[in-house]
Amino acid sequence: MIKCIIVGYGFLGKRLARELAAGKIAGVKLAGIASSKGYIYRADGLAHEDLPERIDRARGFEEAPASEMIRRELADLLVELTPTNIESGEPGLSHIRQALEEGMDVVTANKGPIALAFEELSSLAEERGSLLLYEATVGGGIPLISLQKRCLMADELLSLRGILNGTTNYILSRMHFEEMTFELALREAQMLGIAERDPTLDLEGVDTALKLLILANSLMGLRKKLSEVKIRGITKVTSEAIAAAKESGMTIKLIGVVGENGLSVAPRLIRLNDPLCVHGTLNAVNFNHRILGNLTIIGEGAGESTVSALLNDIYEVVRARSRRL
Amino acid sequence: MRVRLTLALYDRPGVLLRALQEIAVNGGNIISIIHRRDRITSGYVPVSINVEFPDAASLDRAKMGIEGAGIPVIEAETLEKAITTMIIVGCVDVETLLKRVQELGSRVAALSMTGGAASPCLKLVVETPSGKLRPLVDVLEKLAEEWNALLITEG
Repeated sequence: MIKCIIVGYGFLGKRLARELAAGKIAGVKLAGIASSKGYIYRADGLAHEDLPERIDRARGFEEAPASEMIRRELADLLVELTPTNIESGEPGLSHIRQALEEGMDVVTANKGPIALAFEELSSLAEERGSLLLYEATVGGGIPLISLQKRCLMADELLSLRGILNGTTNYILSRMHFEEMTFELALREAQMLGIAERDPTLDLEGVDTALKLLILANSLMGLRKKLSEVKIRGITKVTSEAIAAAKESGMTIKLIGVVGENGLSVAPRLIRLNDPLCVHGTLNAVNFNHRILGNLTIIGEGAGESTVSALLNDIYEVVRARSRRL
Repeated sequence: MRVRLTLALYDRPGVLLRALQEIAVNGGNIISIIHRRDRITSGYVPVSINVEFPDAASLDRAKMGIEGAGIPVIEAETLEKAITTMIIVGCVDVETLLKRVQELGSRVAALSMTGGAASPCLKLVVETPSGKLRPLVDVLEKLAEEWNALLITEG
C-alpha cells in the first residue's frame, strides 16, 4: 500500500483528499495532510470522516512545518499543492526537493517549482529513481504532458501555441460576445470566482508564461527561463479592439507560443474558425509535430478538472511501483 | 513562390536559352518574359522573367546556376504577398507608422480608426512580401512600446 501525503490543503487539496480517503485509487492510502499551519498524520490512513475543513482544528493536529512529515519512513508519495510562488517557487520547491532526496515519488499541481527548477528537479528524480509527475500544472485536466510523453514520444514536437489561462479567456470571451468592457468582465469573473481577488498573474500573462515554460522545457527539451519569455498581458485590450477584430471575422485571445521566434505570451488576433478559438474558461493547445502535423486538444483548464490530472498521476505512481516490485 | 527575376543578358543568340534552362532544371515554371531590347546598355539587354518556383531553395539554386553561366541576376523580387491584420490600441503617430511600413517594403491596404481620443484603436490590413512580415512586426512592436500602445498581430 502506497502511503500518500498531501501538502497544501486548499480547494484542490481538500477535493483530492476526499477522493483518496474514499479509496478511489486502489493501493493508495492517504496518510497525512498539511497546510501552512501544521499537519495531521496517521500511518494507518485517514478516513473520509477524519478530513477537517480546517487542519488546525482537527484531532491529532501538529503545529509544525509540513517538512516534518516529508520523510521516507512516513510516506512514499508527496502530492504538493501549495500556492504558486513565481519568485522563489517556495515553499513547494523545498518540499519537492526534500521528497525526491528522500526517495519519495512526487505529484504536483504547483507550477512554480516545475517552471523555475525543472532541470534540477527532474535530474534529482532520475538520480534517486523517483517519479516526478506534474500533469496538473498545465491545462488542468487536459492530458497535455502525458499525451506527448506517452502517445507521441516518437514524434518530434516542433512548435506549440495555446490558450492556457481560463481567467483571461473568460474575460476576453465576455468582451467578445457581450460587448463588455475589460473592467466589467473582470469584475464579473471575480464575482463568479473565476478570477482571483488579485488577478495580476493571470491578466499580465505570467501564469500563461509559467505553463508555456513547463511545456517547452519538459516536452521540447528546451532550457528556458521565465526571463526569456516575452510577456504581454491583456489589461490594455479594449472593447474597441475586440470590435475591430470581430469586424474582420476574428477575436482577441491571450496566446502562448513556443516556436522559431522563442517563447512569447501576448494577446493575438485569431480567426473565429481557428480550432484554437475556444471561449469561456476553456483552454486549447495546438501541437505541431514533425510527422503528425497539427493536433489541437481542448478542455477545462482549471478547478475540479485538475483533480482528474492529479488522480491520473497518482495512478501512474501505483503502476510504476507495481512494475518495480 | 512567384518571383520576378531581372537579368542582364549579353545580346548574343543562345544566352536567354541558357538562363531559361537553369530555371527549368530547378523546377521553375515560367509565367512571362519581358525582353527589353529598347533598353540595351553596353551590349546588355534587361530581361524580366516571372517564374513560379516550388520553394526558396529552388530559386537559390536557379540563381546560382544563372550566375554560374556568367549571366548577372540584377534582382530577384518575390511577388507573393501575405495579407495580415493588425490592431494597435493606444495613441499612435500614424504618419511615422505608415512611413515605416513602406520603408520595410510593405503596403497598408486598409486602415481604420475607432474609439476617438478616449480609447483610440487603429486597425491595419498590411500587404507584406514573403519573408518580410517578421521584421515588420519587430519594428512595429518597438514603435508601439515607444508610444505605450499595444500591438496585436495575427497568430
